[in-house]
Formats: sequence, structure tokens, C-alpha cells
Amino acid sequence: MPAHPHRFLPPVLLSLLAASVLHAEPATDAERLFTLKVGPLLKEKCDGCHGGDPDKIKGEFETTSLEKLLKGGESITDVLVPGDAKKSFILTSVRWEDEDYEMPPKENDRLTKEQIQYLEDWIQAGAPWPDEAKQDAIRVAEAKKTVTDDGVILSTSGGLGDDWTYRRYKPEDVWAFQPVVKPQLDLKANENPVDHLVSEKLAAAQVKPAPPADARTLIRRIRFDLTGLPPTPEEVEAFEAAHAKNATAAVQQLTASMLDSPHYGERWAQHWLDVARYADTGGMSNDYERSNAWRYRDYVIRSFNDDKPYDQFVMEQIAGDELAEMAKDASQKSELMIATGFLRMGPWDPAMVKNEEARQLYLDDVVNSVGQTFLATTMRCFKCHDHKFDPLPTKDYYRIYATFAGTQIAERPADFVPEENRDGFEEGRAHVKRLLDFAKAEVKKLVDKREADARRWYAEHNLPYKDEEARKDDDDEVKPPRHCGLSIEEQGQLKVREQDVWIWTRRLERYEPMVQSVYNGPDPKFLNARKLRMPDKVQVTWKPASHILTGGSLEAPGEKVGPGVLSALGVPVGSIEADPYLIPDDLSGRRLTLAKWIAHPQNPLTARAIVNRIWQQHFGKPLAGNPNNFGVKGAKPTHPKLLDWLAADFVEHGWKIKRLHQMIISSQTYQQSTRHPDVEKLLNDDPNNDLFAYYPVRRLTAEEIRDAMLAITGELNPELGGLPAMPEMNMEVALQPRMIQFSLAPAYQASPNPAQRNRRSIYVYRVRGQADPFLEVLNQPGTTDSCEMRDAAAVSPQAFTLMNSDLMTDRSITFALRLEKETKALDQQIERAFELTFGRAPTGQERQKMAAYVNQMRNYHEGVTPKPVTYPTEITRSLVEEFSGKPFDYEEILPAYENYVPDTKATDVGPGTRALADLCLALFNSHEFMHVY
Amino acid sequence: MNHHFSSPTRRDFLYGLGASLGSVAFSDLVAKETAAPLAPKQPMLPAKAKNVIMLFMEGGPGHMDTFDPKPMLTKLHKKESKSTRGLETGFKFYVGSPFTFRKVGQNGIDMCDQWQHMADPVVADELCNYRGCMAESLNHPEALFHMNTGSRLGGDPGLGAWATYGLGTLNQNLPGYVVMTELALPQGGPGNWTNGFLPAYYQGTRLRPEGSPILDLPSQSFKDRNHQRQFIDQLAFLNGQHSARHPEHADLAARMESYELAYRMQMEVPEVMGIDSEPEYIKEMYGLDQKETAPFGRQCLMARRLVEKGTRFVQIFSGGWDSHDYLENGHTARIKSVDKPMAALIKDLKARGMLNDTLVIWCGEFGRTPDNNKRGGVYSLGRGHNADAMTMLLAGGGVKPGIVGATDEIGAKAVECAHPIRDFHVTLLHLLGLDDNKLTYYHAGRYKQLSQFGGQVIKELIA
Repeated sequence: MPAHPHRFLPPVLLSLLAASVLHAEPATDAERLFTLKVGPLLKEKCDGCHGGDPDKIKGEFETTSLEKLLKGGESITDVLVPGDAKKSFILTSVRWEDEDYEMPPKENDRLTKEQIQYLEDWIQAGAPWPDEAKQDAIRVAEAKKTVTDDGVILSTSGGLGDDWTYRRYKPEDVWAFQPVVKPQLDLKANENPVDHLVSEKLAAAQVKPAPPADARTLIRRIRFDLTGLPPTPEEVEAFEAAHAKNATAAVQQLTASMLDSPHYGERWAQHWLDVARYADTGGMSNDYERSNAWRYRDYVIRSFNDDKPYDQFVMEQIAGDELAEMAKDASQKSELMIATGFLRMGPWDPAMVKNEEARQLYLDDVVNSVGQTFLATTMRCFKCHDHKFDPLPTKDYYRIYATFAGTQIAERPADFVPEENRDGFEEGRAHVKRLLDFAKAEVKKLVDKREADARRWYAEHNLPYKDEEARKDDDDEVKPPRHCGLSIEEQGQLKVREQDVWIWTRRLERYEPMVQSVYNGPDPKFLNARKLRMPDKVQVTWKPASHILTGGSLEAPGEKVGPGVLSALGVPVGSIEADPYLIPDDLSGRRLTLAKWIAHPQNPLTARAIVNRIWQQHFGKPLAGNPNNFGVKGAKPTHPKLLDWLAADFVEHGWKIKRLHQMIISSQTYQQSTRHPDVEKLLNDDPNNDLFAYYPVRRLTAEEIRDAMLAITGELNPELGGLPAMPEMNMEVALQPRMIQFSLAPAYQASPNPAQRNRRSIYVYRVRGQADPFLEVLNQPGTTDSCEMRDAAAVSPQAFTLMNSDLMTDRSITFALRLEKETKALDQQIERAFELTFGRAPTGQERQKMAAYVNQMRNYHEGVTPKPVTYPTEITRSLVEEFSGKPFDYEEILPAYENYVPDTKATDVGPGTRALADLCLALFNSHEFMHVY
Repeated sequence: MNHHFSSPTRRDFLYGLGASLGSVAFSDLVAKETAAPLAPKQPMLPAKAKNVIMLFMEGGPGHMDTFDPKPMLTKLHKKESKSTRGLETGFKFYVGSPFTFRKVGQNGIDMCDQWQHMADPVVADELCNYRGCMAESLNHPEALFHMNTGSRLGGDPGLGAWATYGLGTLNQNLPGYVVMTELALPQGGPGNWTNGFLPAYYQGTRLRPEGSPILDLPSQSFKDRNHQRQFIDQLAFLNGQHSARHPEHADLAARMESYELAYRMQMEVPEVMGIDSEPEYIKEMYGLDQKETAPFGRQCLMARRLVEKGTRFVQIFSGGWDSHDYLENGHTARIKSVDKPMAALIKDLKARGMLNDTLVIWCGEFGRTPDNNKRGGVYSLGRGHNADAMTMLLAGGGVKPGIVGATDEIGAKAVECAHPIRDFHVTLLHLLGLDDNKLTYYHAGRYKQLSQFGGQVIKELIA
């Protein structure tokens, strides 16, 4: 494909050119001002309430013609006085100088100073309003100039109106849509390009970078950054020695070994899963299990660990099923099928929604997700109209929508690949089977009771017995009453048990060689999220009919569209000469063509988007402020040259992410201290640290906090991948009744053994309707919207959880036991605790204070007896039954707690250990542990 | 004009979305600064209401079975319906209400006989029955999200989040936005009271009906209050040493303050929840002495106590209103469970002079259809989901008592003063002195607002 085709004139413009010949009278400046500025302004900002539908006109005032403007409104008539801006009330109104007439009334619709000036100039010049033909001529003359003082016109597939199509953009606003140009750098020997470009801006601002961070700070930073885990005291010591000898080599070696660690993938996959919105369930009313979603999670981890070229990573997730048809072996085929799990990550459930609407919900979600994730483009913004700010016509939205129009969601077969962890399958299956059998037995009991009564009824009425299915359509007179033989409570119980049968049947699929995937085909006639399968025969010759949906409404199909891509990027996708942004409309291959276009080296958004995300994860802030939105309204890059250099270099060297990590980590920018000598001045002049004059402190993420504690206490099970892990969850939440469509969801049950529970947090079972409260309170994002960057807001509930929760108490006791095991004297225990938690020895004052605290707490605990903790093996549930409006009860079994091995509890240890645990808990709560410097 | 409501830069910095780590919710320390997220703020417009208590009947009560009688339906009972609205397909038949109605109070509010306590003129004369709202969604979670967050898809901030974002809250030792549910969470769960894209300070705090009111609020059983104090002191020492080494990290003090606040909340929250201290007549009035009314009564009483202490927005969920069948049993029991407590709440607020600036709302996520389909082959007396009509009660907070709007003669559709949910939301904010068009937050490429794209104030509801 050619890199950038000649920008061509769209057909609309050609017809306008023809029209313009008829008009000879030259236009005045004021007429041009009206046609190009004031007219469109009135249309965009005023006509909504002061034009169009006569029933909806506000204040009996219209802005759609000069006559109407001159006439004024119901209370004020001097709205427009040609030649006299001062008397024209419209200016008072748009300046918001009259409290009762602040126009337009929405804060975010207000006119800019510049726009108000246009209006004023036009009024002063006598407010001319040329006829349509003349306006056309002016627009044609203007559209011939691609670049003017007002900005550039970007060629697109065309908007709904010419005003939009020939809209101009400030070049700096549409930076992301312009080709990536790799800046030529005049690098000194051994100079890191990152440093070169960062110091360029620092020098311009006359700010010096912060001094380098010390070795202990650095190893903790790199260790958390690349693996999400803290360094051991032994690692710290070794690194400090190596760093003293040769700092560059030490960092390089540490980086290399961390990138080789399988825990690298676990840390970096987390960010990708945040963006993709990973969860093990589908959300919405049923929150059905997506039984094999965990395979996609592990695919992402493997891809990072294997340093899979990013372009390949993109293509597999968007079109893995299409690529799978060309796979060389079964294992590769599986991997590709698993990758398409990306297209299944959004919350979706067609329950109680009409089929077409359910499809639209899915397609809108997937289009937006692909746009945000890979192209840093929020697609929702041009679903109902041409984009308000970006060169993205609504036609392009529906072209991408059409690209997915034949994409159907289904669970599909895919063999397990050798890399997948299949531990715990047997045990897990047995556990689920037990719950399923219980539910089935309960159903049978109730159905038997009902049918016994039905038999009795038939006998009494001298009619032959029919089972429930067979008698369904019979008249009321010749069949027993519905729910006969069952009390109201039993009717409710039956509904609960029937739903449980579904839930556990579905859960069993976790252990099957299946994937949450997609296929190409016609829309199914019936959709139910609890079972979505590909039909045996798919009509491959079928082609979806796609239209622009006017205003985003299914009821208002507009112009027909074919599959295609974003035209404003100027990167062609197909071979259709008249329109190089269209994708061939065969049912199969649409997504692959789109994916190749996204992963094309010339696509200006793709590489910038991923490089920006990687930078953000290293520095806690991105180069371009909104990683999911590079549009006009997104924050502009602080270092555009650096972003482009990194993006170009990334593509040139095979889209390799590990290489990018190395380049960033080896820079002085990355290795500088968080402490800047001029901190006061910088906090004032550059509050967001846009200069990267020092390394920004960041709080550990929720997952890092839990994982780091497990590592420090020695409990962490470093096993990779596999079935969702079930750690202990706050018991009140685990047993919390939770409504789903017809019943209550079953209780959350933790795994019976500590090693199964103490897996890394990325493996924790992720239920859309039931977040883990520990992770959630520490700002783990929700799973509805893509999370481009974690929030770290400190709210009081965090303090409750960190001080008082069982999870924290258990960790502090296990930590204390570890200390007692490793060393006997209190002073040494304190020293070891500091080294494990902070990577440093305590100061003299800290030693003294902490020793006094532990001794004092030992006295306290000697006078207190903790209460034993129990785990219920069954619970009684209560639910309000719609039949009666009254609550009814039923028993739920919790077999996981029958042979449960709990963590060591306060009751299992003496006052001395509990006192030491108080110290451990304080360390885990401290600023120093919670932050990376 | 409140420009600070739409400026992303300064706020992003303060709220920790940029390089900073953010300051702390509910904090006295930061409350002294003007930029404190939950410090009380002046409303944009003259406010009629200061606080909101929203009673949410999850499942969708039947308007024709509560406050909007439809004699025509009684005539059509069990006759075939040809309506294509709603989700149900196949044979449908009209369902007359099992209840009889009468008019109560000086405004002639219609109530079915099941409402005993609400019919007391002292209460009824305060009520506005609004019959014009239309929900747009037919399924529970979408409609719940829509009514509670303005977005059918979920993920956007809850009503209380917008209210506290706009107004802050009056007591920094209590959450400003409190949600109480039954033991089971409503469909969509915490998505109904999330902070969404607003900073986490504005998240609804759920006071749990059983166990610990806020998760992990109490210390472990073997640690007493003095132990907790000493623990925080040790932490303050460690953190103090650390902060001294890191002057660049300005937000650390605020994080430490969140522990002190937590310590105070450990006292204050159980105090508010300690309704045992209320006089007997109050407990009796809210129905705490009866099994059917005690759970909802306790929550209504708690709502009054919270608002009295300065909480801005309280929401209570009552489930079980989704009567597809056995409507008579279902609604009778549900009405009984809320009738006495609701009436008590309004009387109590009035007696304390709090009703003037407390807006009480009673609603569900949608209304019910005039017809139903057969279930298991039999005429099941219940109703489907109706996105075109519903009923609401409003009281206090600047609302005009009386009946506003109307549905058609069978209750299929709102026909007078009909408004989508977003207009109701705009009106709610308006009563609080907030302008929906100006209460915006920049997120994902645009300035977002509760109504999504703007709406209009329903003037007929306002006194």
C-alpha cells in the first residue's frame, strides 16, 4: 500500500465547483465572514433551540434567517441591530452579561472570545446574509485552499454536511492524525534519546534534572515496575554492591533479569487487562460466568513474557479466529482463538432486550473498545453525529461498525496449549459437580412433589397423567393448577435451584477446551448469554446490510455504508480506487483487514498509543495525557518529539516492548531521584511535573499491595496462570446475597488451601457484580469502562481495610511468625522487618520506638483472649418471593469450608507474636511501604 | 457562574489523576482549603432543598396499584390486549387492579386502601404525586442505572455523587452520600451508587443492614480503642519520619489524616446508627416494633438521623416490587413494609422543621403494564415492565403538593406533563440549587453531566 495517497477532492466539492461558475459577483469580507464563521456558528450553537421544530422553539425567537433575527423574540426585540453591535442584545446574551439570558445556556457550549468577535464584526459590518448560491460559491473558493490562517482541512470520507467536511483544524490539535515523523537527533556519545529530548525541554525551562536515585531506591523502583513485587533484602544488598562498581552495568543486568522473569508478564498484562476490561463474568442482570475467560488473561501474560511483536498482538486479538484458519498447527490455532477473547471482554447480556438492540449494544461496545485500546480514539463520540472536534465523520464510525457487523459471539472449541496451566482441574471439577448435584437433587425433590400432586389431580379428574411439558398448552380446565402441591416457599425454592443448575452447569465449562470467542455469520435469531454457540452450518455467503444509524438509532437507518476504516488518517486499507478507505465486503476477512490496517507501520495512532501507555506505566503519567483519547480534546503531549521518536523507533525495531522498557529504564530521566533540590519552585511552576524534572512518586496498585505483602510474609505462591484463584474475601461480602435475574447468586467460596489462595492478584476471580472489597477500596478499577490509568485517591475506607480487615491481620501474624522463625532477638526482628518491607535498616530512633511499642503491646495482649474464627459449611438464604411478596428461606451448601485450612489466626499464636504482628501491621500501613520512590 | 466546575487542570492535579497522589476524603485538614473535595460549597442557584432522601422501590411498583387508579382496567379485566409495547409477546390480557382506591387529603391524592399511614392528611398534604415520568428501558439493571446514574449502560456517577460533587457535605466525619439496601443488593449492585468518572471521594458509602455498617469499621475483636489509638500513633511516628525525608510528596499528610478521620468515624458512625437511643414513641412511629415494618423503618429512621447530622444524600432500596404474578399478595406485603415508615419519616421531618429543606423521593425504576401474558398456560395476575409510564411521590424540599401529570386511561403511557428521566434529574439538581448544564466534569473527551446531553426543569413540580 502507498504510504499516503494524494488527498483527493470528494464528489460533493466537485458539484459545488460547478455551481460556483454561475455566480460572478465577488463576495465582500463581511459576506465571507458570515458564510464561513457566523452562519455555521448560529447553526451549531443557536438553531437547536431557536430553529427547526416549531413546537420546540424557545422564547418565540428564531435564528435561522436574517428576517427572524431582526424580528427578535417574545420579550426582547433588539436582538440584532445591523451596524450597531452595542445595541444588539445577542452580544450581551452570548457574553453571559444578563443573568436571565445566558446563551448558549450550557457551560461547555459557550462561545469563545474569538467566536464572539466574529459575531461582533459581522454586526458592525451591517450583518449581511448572502443567499445560498452565493454562500456555496464562497465555500467552494475557501475549500480550494487546504491551509489558511484558520487551519487545515483534513480529507475524510465526508461528513453529514459540507460545513463539517470543510471544517478546519489547528495542526497542533490534530497532531495524532498526522504521520509520525522521527526527529533527527544530534546524540552525544552514549546519550540516551529519552534524556536528549527530556533535557531539551528542561533546558528551555531553565530547570535542572533531579540527581540520580540511590541504589536501594532504584532496585525497589525497577523491581516493582517490571514485576510488581518487592526486592528481597539479599537482592538489595547484591544490587547495591554491583551498582557501586558499575552503575550502568548493574541496572542493565537487573533490567534484563527482571524482563526474563515470568512475573514480568503478570505485572504488564495487568495494565492491558485494565484497558480491555477483563472479567470472568458478563455483568448485567445475570452476570453469567464466562467460563474460559481466564485463558485470555493468560494469553496476555504469555504475550508480554514472550515479547510478542505488538503488531502481531494487535492482529491476534482483533482477528485471531480469521488467522486461525491459516494456522500451521493445532496449538497455534488455539492460541489465536484464545486471543479473540479481547472481543468478548465488555459487559453484555441480551436478557430482556430485543435482539437487534442486543446486537447494537455489543457492536457499539466492541467498536469503542477497539478504538480506545488500539487507536487511542473514543469512538462513542461520533456514533450519533460527525465528531464535534475531531476529523472523524459518523460515516467512518459506521464503516468500522460494518466491519464487525458479521461478528457473532460464541464459545468455541480450542484445545489446551502446552503452556497453559491445568492444575486443579480435577479438584475444581469435583467441587462444582458437588454443587451441581446438590442443586439437581433439590430440583428433583420439588418436581417429584409437584408431579405427585399432578398425578393425584389427573386421577381425581379421571384424566391420563401428562408431565409438565406435555400439559403446558392444555386448557386450564383439563390440567392441574400451576405449582400444584408446592407451597409458596417451595415454588420460590424451585426457581432458585433451577437457576443454580444453570450456574453450575455453566461453571463446569471452565475445565473444557473452549474459548470465549467469535465467528463470522448472520445474526442468530435467538440470543441468550448463558449459552452462545456457533451453528453447525454458517451461511458464509451472507452479507450484512449496514447503514449510518442516524442519531445512533436503529429506527433511523440512513445512508448505506460498507466496512472500512478511519479516513482522516490517510492510510489506505483496500484496493477500491474511488475510496481507498473501504474494506472488501466479503463476510470473512473484514476484521483481519482492519487489524492489518491498525497494525500498519504507517498508522499514526497505533504505535503512538502503545508507546504512550508503556511510558505511563513507568512514570505514573503518560506523555499524551489521555491514553484512550488522542483527539482534539485530549491532553496534548508534553513531549511530542519524544513520543514520535519512541513510536518510530519502536516500529523500526519490530514493535518490541521489552526493548522499549530497556531504553526507558536505562535513561537518566528514569533513574533520577524523586527529590528535586528546587521542589518548592517546581511544585508551583510545573505542578504536574510535565518536565519530568524528577521521578514521580506513585502509590502501589491494589494488586501490588496484596502481592507484595504475600511476598514479604513468605506466603506467595508464584505459580503461573490457570484457573481463577479464590483467595479469602471479606466474609461479609463473600456471603452477601446478590440479586441476579431470577434469584440470588451463589456465595463466594475461597479455596480450601493457603497455597491455592495465595496466588498473585491478577489471577483472582473477577466477578463484575461482586468486586473483591480489598482490591476495590484500593482503587482497582471497575470493569464497565476501559481504565487508561489507575486512580490512587486516598479515602477513609482504605484506612479501615488496612487497619482492621482479616486479610491484613492474617498477613501481619504470618509476617510476625516468619520473623520469629528467622531470628530470636526483638532488635533483630525489627531490623529484619524493616529490610523485608522497606529494603533498608531502621534508624536508631525507629529501633528504639518500635521495640518499646512491641513490648508495650505484649503487655496488652497478655490480658486479651482473641475469639476463634469459624467458617460456615452451609448458610440459610432469604429471598423475597414475587408470588407472595414475602421472604422465604433455603439452604445453600459451602463445601469449600468442609476441609478448610485457614491462615494462622490470632487465636493460634501467643501474646508475643500478636505484639510483633502489631509492628508488622504498622509497617504494612506505612507511607514507605505503600509508595514507590 | 461557577467556572471551577468545568476546569480540568487544577482539579486533576488536586484529585490525584495526574502526577499527584491526591488528597483525602472527609478530611478536616483539607476541608479548610477551598479545594477540599467534600467541603460544603455554595449552590449555583437559590436552593430549595439541602438534602435528599430517596426511597427506591426496586423492581418497579405498579402505578395503577398504588397511586394512579385505572377504573377502565377493572372493566377490561382478563379481556385480550393487543398492545405491542413491553417485552411480553403472545397472548396478553388486561389486568384490573386488585385494590380499591380513595382520595385523601386536601389535594385529593389517590391511594389504594393498602396505604393506611400515608393517607393521614398530615402526610398526604405534603405529597406531590408525579405521573409523567418515562423510563426508556425495559430491563431492571438498565432502568435502575438510568434512574440512579442517568446512564442506561452503568458506570456513570450516581445521583448522590453529583450532589456531593456540586455541594460537598456538611459533616466531614460522616459520609456525604449514604446508601442502605436490604441484605441482598439490587441488580447492578454498587454500580447504582458509584462515583463513576468522578473522583473516588464522591462514591456512595453503603451502610450495611447487618454486621459491620461499613466494612472493617470496627477493630478486630482482640484490639480495643486504646490499642487502635496507640497503633495510629506508631504509624504517625513512622510516617512522620518518612514525610520529613520526602518533602516533595505533599500529599502524605493528607493520607495520614485519613487514619485520624477513620478513628473518629469509628465513633461517629455507630453513634448515628445507634437508634436505640431514640424515644419509644419514635421507634413505634417508624414501625420498629413490628416484624413487617422494622427493617425499612430502621433505615428511614437512620436516614433522618444522618440528614440531621449533615449527610447530603441518603438512598434506601426496598426490593420485591417486580410483580409479574400474584400482584395482590406481592404489593400488599410490600406496601405494608414501607407504608408506616415512610409516613413516619415525613411526619418526623416535618415536626423537626427539616422537611422544608429535605427532598423526599419515592420511586421505582419503571412502571408496570396494564396487561400481562399467561404463565405456564394460566392467567397470571401480575404485570410486565413499562418504560412509558410510572408513578413517583415527592415531598418537602421545595416541591408543590398535589397531582402532576397523567397517564392514559389504562396506564399504558404518560400523556400529560410527560418527561424522560433526564428531566426529572435536571429538576432534582435544580431543587438542590445546581444547574445540570453547569455541573459538569471533563471525562473521555467531553464535559459530562448527569442528564448526559441536557434536559429541562419540570416547572410543574416546583412550589
